[in-house]
Amino acid sequence: MRTVRIIPTLLIDGRGRLVKTVRFGKRTYIGDPINAVRIFNTKEVDELVLLDIDATRQGREPNYSFVEDIVSEAFMPIAYGGGIRSMEQIERLYGCGIEKVVLSSAVSEGTDLVQRAAMRYGSQAVVVCLQVERRLLGGYRLRAGTAPGAGSPSPVETARRVVEAGAGELLVYSVDRDGTSAGYDLPMLRAIADAVDVPVVACGGARQLDDFRAAVVEGGCSAAAAGSLFVYQASSNGVLISYPTQNELCSKVFERLS
Amino acid sequence: MAVAGSWRQDDAGNLKDGGGVFQVCTRTVMDTTDPDITFDDAGVSNYWHEYQAFKAALPTREARDATLATTLEAIKRSGRGKRYDCVLGLSGGVDSSYLAYVAKQHGLRPLVMHFDNGWNSELAVSNIEKLVSGLGYDLETFVMDWEEFRDVQRAYFKASVLDLEVPTDHMIMGALYRIAARKGIKYVLSGTNSATEWLLPKAWYYRKLDLVNLKAIHKRFGDRPLRKLPSLGLWQQVYFDRVRRISSAALLELVDYDKSAATRLLATDFGWRDYGGKHHESVFTRFYQGYILPKKFGIDKRKAHLSSLILSGQITREQALAELQQPPYDERLQEQDKQYVAKKLGFSGPEFEAVLTQPNHAHEDYGTDLDQRRLYFKALKTFGGPVRWLRSLRG
Repeated sequence: MRTVRIIPTLLIDGRGRLVKTVRFGKRTYIGDPINAVRIFNTKEVDELVLLDIDATRQGREPNYSFVEDIVSEAFMPIAYGGGIRSMEQIERLYGCGIEKVVLSSAVSEGTDLVQRAAMRYGSQAVVVCLQVERRLLGGYRLRAGTAPGAGSPSPVETARRVVEAGAGELLVYSVDRDGTSAGYDLPMLRAIADAVDVPVVACGGARQLDDFRAAVVEGGCSAAAAGSLFVYQASSNGVLISYPTQNELCSKVFERLS
Repeated sequence: MAVAGSWRQDDAGNLKDGGGVFQVCTRTVMDTTDPDITFDDAGVSNYWHEYQAFKAALPTREARDATLATTLEAIKRSGRGKRYDCVLGLSGGVDSSYLAYVAKQHGLRPLVMHFDNGWNSELAVSNIEKLVSGLGYDLETFVMDWEEFRDVQRAYFKASVLDLEVPTDHMIMGALYRIAARKGIKYVLSGTNSATEWLLPKAWYYRKLDLVNLKAIHKRFGDRPLRKLPSLGLWQQVYFDRVRRISSAALLELVDYDKSAATRLLATDFGWRDYGGKHHESVFTRFYQGYILPKKFGIDKRKAHLSSLILSGQITREQALAELQQPPYDERLQEQDKQYVAKKLGFSGPEFEAVLTQPNHAHEDYGTDLDQRRLYFKALKTFGGPVRWLRSLRG
């Protein structure tokens, strides 16, 4: 049986509060991130993605002591993203105990940081998050401020470039699907996954366990991440941390991957 | 019989031992760690006698069933044409979980509210998940602003008062009534029941709805303003009760409630898991009842819980005594919890130790709502008559 990584994505605002967004906009307060991490520990989650969604916008550094607090409570490896612009910051973050850095806006200034981080820490420790949105008249583009170089290269082209520079993994986050529970944007994921030979992680839109299967089988991804699905109760929108059991993952996802 | 942690410290820090004699009730497991306990010549405590009187005054089965029927009828009528006819608070513990089940059994359509104060355990959230999806209810979570809640909890620790659960209990009730008012729901289901919690000595808790006391403690020891507190002080209670006409219904009092049968049923039908300790659904409550109350206040709340179960005939006194021989909970876990609670509340190790070992204070030392209540009842007495008379004129 083939298994894939199923990763909760936790969004942190400027005050270190756990939030969940809809289409990168409207925010709902989810509670104390430390407690959420403790619950994920008990639920035996294999890894977490932690994104500080205000750091870049506020032009500040990652909140190192906060990251350290989270890491010290977490039993699982953590990938951190948000506000990373330099090698010094990356070094400090690894010092906090994170496993991978997630670069996003930094890529808008070229792939230099990706390259240097990959040289120093290895590709497996460098994730690039592509924030992909639909164009008004069809097609896709990267969200403003996250596309490298002049003009606006397509997400696929950017994916190729960052992988060439050394990114070991792509977190492909659909802006339009974020928080909507409308399912992953499978054609978009497929286009990117087909263009690169590193793991692609689907993110944005997961509503049910079957979406993970779809991300792999139809989207060509090798892992899937989700936010809403793991912080809201399934049938209503009450905040409640959840994660499927290994049995559920096996019967509803892994066994149906072929 | 020697019971660990049975000595009670008075406000001056002296050990108080119930007049020098340690005594255990011969029918329950209550003892002189409760300063208000009294015994008859046979060594039977006032609680046993009070329970007999309570039991004698209980309605007959037929009368109880009739009350249940009218209550259900009134709740359903109030919800006609609406999505919900009541709201119920679900912590994931056995009382509230069974209440959720009983509501379904009787055809009620509750909106389930969960109060998230930042201390949920995985067990709690997974029990809630199982019940809500198993019973097909909608869940609404009141996520209390953690920074603010933490500030209130820190204030209670610094105030060195007995009832550190007041903030949570107060806000759960406040959140329930707020949601009911917002959604136009007229009934709040309550899990209060005499089968598992009839007995709780006055000296072992503080009134949960004394907002004046809560605010006074926070004002003196808190560091940030209270903005998102779902308060339920006297005036808010009057508003929800008199103006919004929201009532509370203690459904578990109107059905047979056997705790171990309920636990089995929930486990079989929903995959619900037991906590292995009353109210251990949150790390905080576990640490409070299993560590702070025994060590700082000489109170082992299990004695009251177990005595309630003895009185309602659900366990024997021997079973209760055997259980009391065990420490409140695993000692290694106590140490872990202590470090986690300190860290989460933002106390350093030594700070937390200092806070825990400072002399105890009575809640009343910081001010109470008694003046408010006197004023209110006086006003009721003065204006109640004329108001009723005016209403009667209107027909």
